[in-house]
Amino acid sequence: MNGQSMDNQKQKNNGEDCPICFQNVSFIINSNQIINNISVRIDRKGITGIIGPSGSGKSTFLRLLNRLISATTGRISLDEKSYDTIPVRELRKRIGLVQQRPYLFAKTVEDNLTYGPRIWGVSLSKKDLIELLDKVALPHEFLDRDVENLSGGEQQRVSVARSLANNPDILLLDEPTSALDIVSEEILENTIRNLSQEGIKIIIVTHSLEQTKRLTDQLLFLKDGKFIEKTSTKEFFHKYNEKEIRGFFKKKESR
Amino acid sequence: MSLAPETEITEMLFRILFSILLLTLIVLLSYWQNINLEKVFTWSFVRGFIQILLMASILIVIFELRDLLILYGVLLFMCVFAAYTAKNRFPYPNIFKLELVAITTASIFVMVIVTTPILTIDSTPISIIEREGTYIIPMGGMVIANVMVMTTIVLERLIADIKKSKGTIEAALSLGDSSWNSVKPILKESFRAGLLPTTNRVAVLGIVTIPGLMSGMIIGGVNPVIAAIYQVIIFLMILSAGFIGEIMIGFLFIKELFTSEDQLKISWFNPK
Repeated sequence: MNGQSMDNQKQKNNGEDCPICFQNVSFIINSNQIINNISVRIDRKGITGIIGPSGSGKSTFLRLLNRLISATTGRISLDEKSYDTIPVRELRKRIGLVQQRPYLFAKTVEDNLTYGPRIWGVSLSKKDLIELLDKVALPHEFLDRDVENLSGGEQQRVSVARSLANNPDILLLDEPTSALDIVSEEILENTIRNLSQEGIKIIIVTHSLEQTKRLTDQLLFLKDGKFIEKTSTKEFFHKYNEKEIRGFFKKKESR
Repeated sequence: MSLAPETEITEMLFRILFSILLLTLIVLLSYWQNINLEKVFTWSFVRGFIQILLMASILIVIFELRDLLILYGVLLFMCVFAAYTAKNRFPYPNIFKLELVAITTASIFVMVIVTTPILTIDSTPISIIEREGTYIIPMGGMVIANVMVMTTIVLERLIADIKKSKGTIEAALSLGDSSWNSVKPILKESFRAGLLPTTNRVAVLGIVTIPGLMSGMIIGGVNPVIAAIYQVIIFLMILSAGFIGEIMIGFLFIKELFTSEDQLKISWFNPK
């Protein structure tokens, strides 16, 4: 990845320069400033981790990216195209969002996988469906299963596969493993790694430092709605020791 | 028409006084069971009694009128009042506007249909119900009241279900679905919830209940068979107006709750 030119926002001669770009973005709701004048550039490739204490605006940041909410002020752009010039539903198709909880639709796994493509008039073949299951390491016979009978880990993987069915360029994950056991977490992390290798940009909000270390290439540290740090994961763990980093998180977490 | 003779008035006064015993019973029951509705019961009965007495006195005047426009004006006033009452159940913005549009459009539409002459027999125009105040006002009032109840049920159901399914709705939106599609199943269920009580009342018609309109007509001395026919007509009016009102309030509410960019207005649920 072109790490050298990472923050070189002055050089704007083509779309490669600022693939995912926030310019002075704020989000205010009920006079609470959740996101506070953020300007950031995110690489088009690799896995970007968003970390920070609870209530720092991490989820809001992802919701802005999927445009479930719009910035109160400022500009978000994708490949140099401002968000308000991209039809919102098309944008959401390109930028998938996996929420913290799976929020699956009734009734079967297949119903969930076909939901996205059906919006666009596309029907998935059996082969497509099997491929999606493979990506999230679910057995093929799961297609007809009622989602209510799946474990939390399985449900979360269905939710990832559901987003993948749309063939997104970018996948946003909001603490996808926070409610899962270690085995499910490992499976999902493998999936995420494979997706990144296939060229899907991953932006993941996480609470776990271990996961950050295992998974991400680049880190954005968010606090009180502001990015206070943007580094490669390596640098971050080099710069601060474990104790300092835990200290970053503890502040608002004790509720 | 004039007020009733003196003996009748004395009789009625006694009837009212004795029926207050029942109100006392209700209040006592509420107190005993800790329902905390004593004030609400008392106040709503006092208020309701005064309202309906005033209405009755006005009706005496209105029934003398044959002008359809004035009669519709009265119905319109009823719609405004119904929308205002419905609004008070929801601590959210813009409900009055939505209820007013839904109740008025649905009720007036159906009332116009039933009072439009379809054919003439012996040069008398025949419409589904008689074009007179004695029919238009009470039947219109029943339609309006029922549309109000039905749209309120729909709204209540919609608000509760959307709050509950916020995550699923946003999951659908985040996949690129339209706001309309994302709430379609919820909307459908709320329409059913609004319609079912009335449908059930139709199903038990005559066997379990002799409903209000028919009872009233029978007490007033009308032939029970004619009263029965009017009862079926009023149910058809209620259901059609109710259904139209439900669809309208559903559509308007969804439009209110989502931005033009297919975003759920979460702040709507927490008005300041």
